[in-house]
Amino acid sequence: MGILLVGMNHRTAPLQMRERLSRVCGEGVEADLPKEISTVCSIQEVLTMVTCNRIEVVAWSDDHDGAVQEIKDIFQRRGNFLPGELDGCLYAYDNLDAVRHLFRVAASLDSMVIGEPQILGQVKEAYRQAVGHGTTGVILNKVLHHAFRVAKRVRTETAVAGHAVSVSYAAVELAKKIFGSLEDKTVMLVGAGEMSELAARNLIKHGVQHIVVANRTFDRAVQLAAKFQGTAAEFDRLAEKLGEADIIISSTGAPGYLVTADMVRGALRRRKNRLLFLVDIAVPRDIDPAAGEIDNVFLYNIDDLQDIADENRQLREREAERADAIVEEEVAKHDAWFHTLSVVPTIVALREQAEAIIKGEIERSSPWLQALSEVERQRVEILAKSIVNKILHGPITGLKDESRQHGTMAYVAALRTLFRLDE
Amino acid sequence: MYLLVFDASLAVYLMSTIFFMIALFVRRVRPAAIATWILTLAFVSHGGSFIVRYGETGYSPLLAINEALSFFAWVATGIYLLLQTITKTRLLGAFVAPIVTIAMFISLQTTPGHIVIPPALRGSLVIVHVALTVAGEALFFLASAAGAMYLLQDGFLKKRKAVSFARLFPSLRDLDRINHVCVLWGFPLLTFGVIAGSLWARTVWGSHWQWDPRQIWTLIVWMTYAVLLHQRLAIGWKGHKAAVYSLAAFVILLASLIVVRGFLPSAHTFV
Repeated sequence: MGILLVGMNHRTAPLQMRERLSRVCGEGVEADLPKEISTVCSIQEVLTMVTCNRIEVVAWSDDHDGAVQEIKDIFQRRGNFLPGELDGCLYAYDNLDAVRHLFRVAASLDSMVIGEPQILGQVKEAYRQAVGHGTTGVILNKVLHHAFRVAKRVRTETAVAGHAVSVSYAAVELAKKIFGSLEDKTVMLVGAGEMSELAARNLIKHGVQHIVVANRTFDRAVQLAAKFQGTAAEFDRLAEKLGEADIIISSTGAPGYLVTADMVRGALRRRKNRLLFLVDIAVPRDIDPAAGEIDNVFLYNIDDLQDIADENRQLREREAERADAIVEEEVAKHDAWFHTLSVVPTIVALREQAEAIIKGEIERSSPWLQALSEVERQRVEILAKSIVNKILHGPITGLKDESRQHGTMAYVAALRTLFRLDE
Repeated sequence: MYLLVFDASLAVYLMSTIFFMIALFVRRVRPAAIATWILTLAFVSHGGSFIVRYGETGYSPLLAINEALSFFAWVATGIYLLLQTITKTRLLGAFVAPIVTIAMFISLQTTPGHIVIPPALRGSLVIVHVALTVAGEALFFLASAAGAMYLLQDGFLKKRKAVSFARLFPSLRDLDRINHVCVLWGFPLLTFGVIAGSLWARTVWGSHWQWDPRQIWTLIVWMTYAVLLHQRLAIGWKGHKAAVYSLAAFVILLASLIVVRGFLPSAHTFV
């Protein structure tokens, strides 16, 4: 009996392969993957997760090798792969390795961009679907909830998810370092390119409400401004419009400097020296670098932003090492729990719990028990004990019998959960 | 009893400082939040020490130099905590708490066993004079702390590098606003403090102005801050320039206190 995990991700399989498999395994495919896998007789519980970067199958099975082979066969059949074509692309883990991999996936340590936030949501969604299909049970429920906790711990105790790793988010983060809240800020886009549109979108997501677009062809400026419910500005009046914005993002194809240091000085005067953040993502540059020397002006070009994003990426990788230590700790906890899943200690724990309940209830009733004679009191105690024993008799003998015929752990786990023996 | 409460407060201030330093170096918010709570505790117990002092000596505990310093630390802490709740600039405490702790330490070192209040200081106007001036100076101190942090953050941003040391630093705009608010409120306090002092000087010394070194220096400090406030409100000095100037102004203020007390004969030096 054990947990197993079969899957492929962006490291083990090329995009084309992942596409082919996810097309026939994802949601909306007629015979759903978890349903099909759960019909394999050696598999008791299963959960499947399909995203653009990975396909993972987590299962609880009493025949590891057989189950892994069956899952591989299902993949091969569904994707019409040649025999052996999938061999190098799939990985298979068992027990603690499987749990470790699942924890790392949920904590976004296995992602292409470490710490990206979507993956946990995707794991949760996969779990929700599996529960919907009724293919999970006591073991996977426990393991998945544990994985969610691990992900949360990693997120709060390390900086794997901290700080921008893309150019446009690096710009947003800098804007926040300068202005604090972005809510009453105005952003001016010089040039209506794709990059500036993306940056503007991110800024809007972080509270910016007013967008001004200046573009050489005015129509395009009007179009883009309409997208953000902003206003369009005429390109010839750029110099005077500069002073109205707190953040200026420039991305035109102009060959020389569009915005000179003098223009920035003038803008600063008009805005009474309020801080000004200039982002120059054009190549060749649009804004004279000398503008960055002016007090209260902060000028970043595409390379500056890229450097910051790279540095943050390295930081995330360093943090990932700390996160892995947390994962190891949690895998050990899982292991400890797993070891409690044997029959005898569970029966002992169940009996002890019952004894404790009887003792507690009798103590609680002692005021009126005092009124009874010694003999009557003993009879009440015997009565209580025999009721409890009768109730426990079924589960205990059932557990012993079932464990002789089938695997024990699922039953033990169920019993421990139902009677709350681990709390 | 007073010394006991005072020592306890000093220890709590020191603890808060340590937590702020930890927050600065591990770059996490949690220790800064803890430090802020500890600082609040220190503020309360320190406030209690004034009441104890008053109960033990029977005069308002602001007049001796050690008491004025202690009051300065207390006001600076109180205003910082107030600003902190409004702007959430937790890490600024890493600049405030150490100075407050040092002020408390000097105050402890200069606490005399027993003092006699000279007749020139017996009057309620004196208390008003000291309380307002010291409170104004505490605000100027906070302004310069925010200014110093502003300049650091400004320097990091100008360098265009991801500086991990500055990750938790407040935004430039918040620091600039704190700098401004502190000067804006500190200035009238100092002004009224000086007026109260000169009114009292007339009753004890016969005239409002004696050309005492202390008075001249105070006038210089007052004018420095007047210029800063004017430049900001009328000319629109903001950010970098305002931060530099407010730091320079505080250095002048500090120098005036040290020079007058240490090297110049002044009729204004009492206890």
